[in-house]
Amino acid sequence: MIEGLFNTGSLPVLERMVQFTSQRHKLLVNDIANVSTPGFVPTDVDPRKFQAVLAAAIDQRRQTQGGIYNGTIHPTDTEQMRFTDDTVQLAPSNSNDNILFHDGNNRSLESIMKDLAENTMAHNAGIEMIRNQMNLMDMAIRERV
Amino acid sequence: MFGSLDISTSALVAQRTRLNVIASNLANQHTVFDAEGNYSPYRRKFAVFAAGDPANGNDAGVHVRDIMEDDAPFRKIQVGVGNPLADKDGFMEVPNIDPMTEMVNALEATRAYEANITAAEATKSMMNSALRLLA
Repeated sequence: MIEGLFNTGSLPVLERMVQFTSQRHKLLVNDIANVSTPGFVPTDVDPRKFQAVLAAAIDQRRQTQGGIYNGTIHPTDTEQMRFTDDTVQLAPSNSNDNILFHDGNNRSLESIMKDLAENTMAHNAGIEMIRNQMNLMDMAIRERV
Repeated sequence: MFGSLDISTSALVAQRTRLNVIASNLANQHTVFDAEGNYSPYRRKFAVFAAGDPANGNDAGVHVRDIMEDDAPFRKIQVGVGNPLADKDGFMEVPNIDPMTEMVNALEATRAYEANITAAEATKSMMNSALRLLA
């Protein structure tokens, strides 16, 4: 990572977002794979909790730097999320908010598919925004539009 | 993210195995002789899934743990005392297969298969957009 070039503005935030969505994608894919496995309880990490941690980290960066949005962000680890240098490790919890079927699986295919679609869109949006930032940099370096 | 494709694939394999078992049940719903030609009605079979993918040594994913036989009693149809396969009351045992149940299970397996295809497509779209960052 080049100091002051790749860790300014929204890039570190977008990086964390893409890391989180790609890890969560794995959980959701596993839930879909086990949709007819008896006794399997789907697992997930609430994206709202991740967003709260991320927002707190952005706030913290703003406060320590006084209005200049430079430097990497340092989200605090929670029970379900551990932030390492290059990824977010997820320790998912079982979701117990659906009807428990007789085979011991409380699947809800519709809500899992919705989560999957949402997560994919969030990931692609994050990647697209990183791409835009890179294009801006490219333009500045080449001095042409 | 490449691990996600393995997970979806393991589920596709498992669901297709289940469909194979269902197809075999439907094909044999009137079979009363075994391969050696002895009178032995076909028993309904079903696939049992378990979480995890031992083929890849992966905690995530799904695999077929066992293909078990249904212990439910055979159905009995009246064929008359004259039939060589009938018991003393004129009844004969035929496979314990209900085609409606099999069709519903087949539909469920197909839908689960499609859901996994969708998940794999989502994985591919995510990988594509991430790889496009490089180009």
